[in-house]
Amino acid sequence: MLIQESRTYKLAKAALLAVLIAVTPVIGNLPAQNRPLPGAQKQEEDPLSIIYKAAVKSFEEKNYKEALAQFEELDAKAVDVELKLKAVVSFQKSLCYFFTKDWPRAQAELTAFLDKYPKGTEDFLSDSDNRRGTAELLLIEALSKQGKWELALTRLEKIRTNTLARPEERVNAFTLSAQIIVERAKSGQEDAKKAAYSQAIGLLKQATADGINTPERREAAYKLVEMYTKLGLAKEASQLKNEIDAKSSGSPVEVVRSNFQRLEIGDARFAAAESAADEAFRADFYRQALTNYQGTLRRANLTSSFGRAIEAKQAEVETMTKNFPKPKPEQAANIEKAKQEVAQFKKIQEEFNVNKDYDAFISYRIGLCLLELKRPWEAHVAFLDIFENSPGFSRISGAYYYHILALRRIGRNNEAQAKCKDFIAKFPKDDQVSAIALILGDISQEREDFPEAIEHYKWVKANVKTLTPEVEEEIDFRLASCLFSQVDWAPAQKAFEEFLKKHDRSPVRQQVLYMNALCSFFQGKYKETKVDFDKYQQEYPKGQFIPDVRYRQAIVKFGVNPPDIAGTIKLCEEWIKDYAKDNTDEVIAQTPEVHTLIGDANIRLADEIDKKVKAADIDVRLNARSPDKAKFVEIKAKLEKEKEAVTNKAIDAYEAAAKSARTNPQALEFVLGELRKLLPGRGEHKRMRDLFKEIFDWNHNDPKAMTYLYEVIRSTERMGDMPEFAAESEKVRKKFSAQLADARKKVDELERRDKVTKEEVDAAKTGTKKLSAELETELAKVETKRQASIADQKKRALKILSDAVSESINDRTQEGTEKLIVFLAEKLARKIKRVKPGTKPEPSAYTSADAEKELVKLLRLEEHRDSLVAQARGFFALGQLGVFTREPEKTAANFAKIAANYKAEELNPTILGLVGDNLLTKGDHKKASEYFTYILEHSRSSEYADYGFAGLAEIAYANKKYADALSLCDEAIANNILMSKELDLRFTRARSLAELSKYAEAKKEFEEIAKTKEWRGEKTAASLYWLGLMAERQATDEKGYNEAIAYYRRCYMTWKKYEVWAAKSYFASAKLFATKLNQKDAAKLILKEMFEKDRIKDTREAEEAKAFLLGL
Amino acid sequence: MRLTFLLPALALLAAATSTAQTFVFKGERWEINDPFALDNSIPPKPIVDPKKGTVNAIKGSIERTSITGGIEATLTRKLSEVTEVIWPPPARLKEAQANVSRGEPAKALDNVEAVLKFFEPIKNVPGSWWVKASIVKLDALDRLQNDAATASFLDAFEKEDAAKLPEVATQIQLARLMQRARKGDHESVIKESTELLAKVESAELQARLHIVKGNSLLAAKKYEAAMTTYLRVPVFFGSETELIPKALLGAARSFRGMDSPALRDQKLEAVSNRYLYDIIVSYPVSKEAEEAKAMLPKEERAKAEADQKKIAAGGPLPEGVIMAKPKLADEEKVEGNK
Repeated sequence: MLIQESRTYKLAKAALLAVLIAVTPVIGNLPAQNRPLPGAQKQEEDPLSIIYKAAVKSFEEKNYKEALAQFEELDAKAVDVELKLKAVVSFQKSLCYFFTKDWPRAQAELTAFLDKYPKGTEDFLSDSDNRRGTAELLLIEALSKQGKWELALTRLEKIRTNTLARPEERVNAFTLSAQIIVERAKSGQEDAKKAAYSQAIGLLKQATADGINTPERREAAYKLVEMYTKLGLAKEASQLKNEIDAKSSGSPVEVVRSNFQRLEIGDARFAAAESAADEAFRADFYRQALTNYQGTLRRANLTSSFGRAIEAKQAEVETMTKNFPKPKPEQAANIEKAKQEVAQFKKIQEEFNVNKDYDAFISYRIGLCLLELKRPWEAHVAFLDIFENSPGFSRISGAYYYHILALRRIGRNNEAQAKCKDFIAKFPKDDQVSAIALILGDISQEREDFPEAIEHYKWVKANVKTLTPEVEEEIDFRLASCLFSQVDWAPAQKAFEEFLKKHDRSPVRQQVLYMNALCSFFQGKYKETKVDFDKYQQEYPKGQFIPDVRYRQAIVKFGVNPPDIAGTIKLCEEWIKDYAKDNTDEVIAQTPEVHTLIGDANIRLADEIDKKVKAADIDVRLNARSPDKAKFVEIKAKLEKEKEAVTNKAIDAYEAAAKSARTNPQALEFVLGELRKLLPGRGEHKRMRDLFKEIFDWNHNDPKAMTYLYEVIRSTERMGDMPEFAAESEKVRKKFSAQLADARKKVDELERRDKVTKEEVDAAKTGTKKLSAELETELAKVETKRQASIADQKKRALKILSDAVSESINDRTQEGTEKLIVFLAEKLARKIKRVKPGTKPEPSAYTSADAEKELVKLLRLEEHRDSLVAQARGFFALGQLGVFTREPEKTAANFAKIAANYKAEELNPTILGLVGDNLLTKGDHKKASEYFTYILEHSRSSEYADYGFAGLAEIAYANKKYADALSLCDEAIANNILMSKELDLRFTRARSLAELSKYAEAKKEFEEIAKTKEWRGEKTAASLYWLGLMAERQATDEKGYNEAIAYYRRCYMTWKKYEVWAAKSYFASAKLFATKLNQKDAAKLILKEMFEKDRIKDTREAEEAKAFLLGL
Repeated sequence: MRLTFLLPALALLAAATSTAQTFVFKGERWEINDPFALDNSIPPKPIVDPKKGTVNAIKGSIERTSITGGIEATLTRKLSEVTEVIWPPPARLKEAQANVSRGEPAKALDNVEAVLKFFEPIKNVPGSWWVKASIVKLDALDRLQNDAATASFLDAFEKEDAAKLPEVATQIQLARLMQRARKGDHESVIKESTELLAKVESAELQARLHIVKGNSLLAAKKYEAAMTTYLRVPVFFGSETELIPKALLGAARSFRGMDSPALRDQKLEAVSNRYLYDIIVSYPVSKEAEEAKAMLPKEERAKAEADQKKIAAGGPLPEGVIMAKPKLADEEKVEGNK
């Protein structure tokens, strides 16, 4: 249950009801009260008249006891008077009993009045009301107050069925009957109560059957709304409520009542939602509660409504008083009635003003509903309203709590923590402090800021004196856990040990024992670890951490010195066997770790054997010429075989670990690292490829999927260069090397021998050459096969890449696809043999045209002919290929096709950014602007958001909308949307500032660009030129112009390769020398130097400078 | 739009039992032919009951036929003698309001002008729909973004007695603020709307002011403040259903403005899209729904449109949707010309 009704709210409600009872027309008006008794009319001094007047006065002043005594005196003395006068006295006496809550006497007097006076007070008190009806209702009330329900109901039934009774009386009878029926069932069972509500609804429906135009009927309607609400008939309650509101007279009584009733309906719906078992119903109930809360009027509105009503009523009183200086009895009664209403309105206003929390409570309730309806942003706004407008709210701590909850749900943890701190600082003694401090720590803990979390928890322990034992225990546990998480093993262990001493029956004991053992484990205290784990296993033989404990026990065996490798492997194998069929998340996540441990143990074994292999190798070398050589060779071979066997076991284990590590990314990364070291070196590319393919196929959207795919492709490519080829080459070489050696030996011998003819020698040499040529041919055959195999595997790799691209090429939202496309384009570009410009490639060479064709084929664009996105990606891919093949015109052409055929919404941020940028450089500002705007509207969090800002800023700048350009740059910088476009954004910002004559800021920005090493390049040159330009614009004297020239000089001296900026600087310097400093010779020299520079002499500035020179 | 901001005296009229079109004179009541109720003929003609009064705007009078003792007589009263009007919301005024919501300002103006013309001679009589119609006209002009026409209308409206009513005066002030916002004077609009918010009581005006303020905050790129300002409308003025789509659209735009790579974890684009989705499923015939469709990525747009159709066919509300216009048909019947 989220809501707690405030005391002030209850008080306000109670006060309101009190007022309503007071104005309920049970007594009616007494317009003739001032009328003298007929018997006393002739003589003004009539004592009976005096007593009557005094009694009425006492009654009006609410001195009911005194009034009763006076009416009794009158009753005793007025013996010989008209019957109606006796009836009046009897009626008044009954009222006095009634208001003094003397129910038995009231009952007796009212019964007597009704029995003795069939015509009631006749016309004495009112021409149209003889008070019998009122007396009946009062009698029923008196009976009810005494619990005489049946008597009351019987009397009411008589009124209800009496067609001669006044309609209002009959309506009141229905209402009262309903009220009594509900009252009667108040202490009964729930079923009885519900039955009573239903019965009451039946009666109240009859009371309102002819509309709700009179106060009596509206009263019945209010009750009916209440009954509907109690029975959970929200729709009926709301509809009737709206009807009542529509018929409202606008009186403050009705306004306030209506308002609180709306709140009640809302609360009832909220309570229903809280207890609803069905999720769907719950949401509906919260929605209904919210609608009611939203429909309530705010304080300002109600206050103003009161003010207007009081003002109007006051004016009415004044008008009547002015118009009737000597009022007749009826007029006096009307004036009195209006005065009473003024007083009543003021009372309601006062009561309402006491409740300072009214608005805040509405916001609070709305916030809770929104939070439950999973609308945390709206809840955030609702609670914000409380902090902004009702900081003194009595339930401010609750508002803080739920606001913090909302902030956490929308992912604003920093703000949530700030709110926690704010609360703790403002309300250090509030009951909620510990809960909020816990949240504060919890947020830090969740964000893995453990020192901060520890600080918060310690603060709570030190400062909150009212912590419950449960909270204290939780904090102790959290403190130890934080120390554990920040790998402070010794303090963590100490904290866990203290925890176990202090809270020996804690529900987290099992976890603490386990974590305590882990502390020993991570400190490398294996002896203690074993003891601690043994203790855990003893206490919790079937505990939740048993699998992990058994695994750690295996690690302990592995960690001791010397390691018990066999024991480790045995424990691990038992573990795998025992948990083979266990599908719990923990076991599934642990399985790769156990396999990894087997792998590690085998690698350790292999290392041990390797040492022996090395020793054996030394033995072999040492005994190379001894007869025992064969023995040593055999030992070495055996050891190598042994090493190979355990290494294979390790690889198998790592592979098993990798394949089972889908839910354990850390273990996966580790074993993949190990396998990357082991498999390629052993030429096991296929195994590597298959493994990574399997992992890649787990989830193509995984952030690491791309890395796995790269590995798949690399392994596939390497697969082409199979070890068989090397072996075959070796075999061929071996085969020919013996023959060649023999042949060469033969030639050598022949050459040394005498009497050998030249022909013989030549023949032998030819034989050698022939053999050599045969060797080359054989090797070439192997190489051809190898190259074919490599090409084949590369083709396969491309096919894999093509499959991966093709899979997501139709999905616009998959941003990774562009990365794959770029990767693919790069691969194809590498296949092209570069030739010097102007040289024709070989006819059979793979050209960029071939690459384009292959790219289109690999992207399967034909298959995806109907997909707009796929076709756009096709153009993008060809454009990117143009980038890699350094054919910018092709890039531009393909990007232009995208621009011509695609709306921004059909593309993703990568394409929008890159194509937009290209369009910008080509001057197509309109289309570029469309693309950039789309990025800004839809993809501000993408990696290409900065393209949007930079591009639009550049366009705005080009259109001389400097303020807009500045605003865009500022926004990007303020929100750190910089990535690869920071330099562009800062440069545009600086230029915009300069154009807006904000020189100081602009200078700062240009200087920053100019001095940043990473940005050295064209923008550095441009910044220097702009610094000069700004100095020139601001210069008023020689010093100023010299400053400008200094910047220009730095530009053209340092950055000649950026001819545009260098040329501008040269020309600007020359102009300043000639026009401002009167140094025409210096200007001429500069211009001469300018024209000598090859890169500069043909620029536009140089042309202008030539014309300028002529004028010097 | 309900006239909750009019004088309590107007509100009192809601208590009237008769929903028929009635003019009250001193000492008598005349039922009046509704000039906006048309028959089925082509072209349709107003339904005229000779026993009911018919307004002659040119003469400034009302005429009706009375048969007393078999003699038919034509009775005439002057429009200036009307002391009270009891009139349910005119159909064309409702239509005009719907036109505004649907983004059809020209049609709205066409409809509202007819209402204005009819009530013109009795514009200051309690129960007259003239003020309400004027405000709808203001809305239509605002949608049209025709500043010259709006300014001219406002100048004339300000001279009327009704303009002295605090709520109407605020409404005019609001319209002026909107004009200034269109001219880019955002800082002062933000300041003045904030000041006005502290003074205004009616929920409708509060909601409108929040939207005006939100628009200027958004234009000034104060996205966070704009978001909280817009969201106050659905949070606190949920019953102002005609203004909610505007506020939701503004909030969606603000969320997009707030988005940045640093806040990627908050998934602000998804949050923004969720609001656009809400507009489409909950307020499908509004102008904002069309804008929301244009702003949503097309995959999500298709889903929103499909869900809207399901809801329209009686399907359950998707999780988290709370802004759907409540079905108030029965309740609206009792609104009268409150």
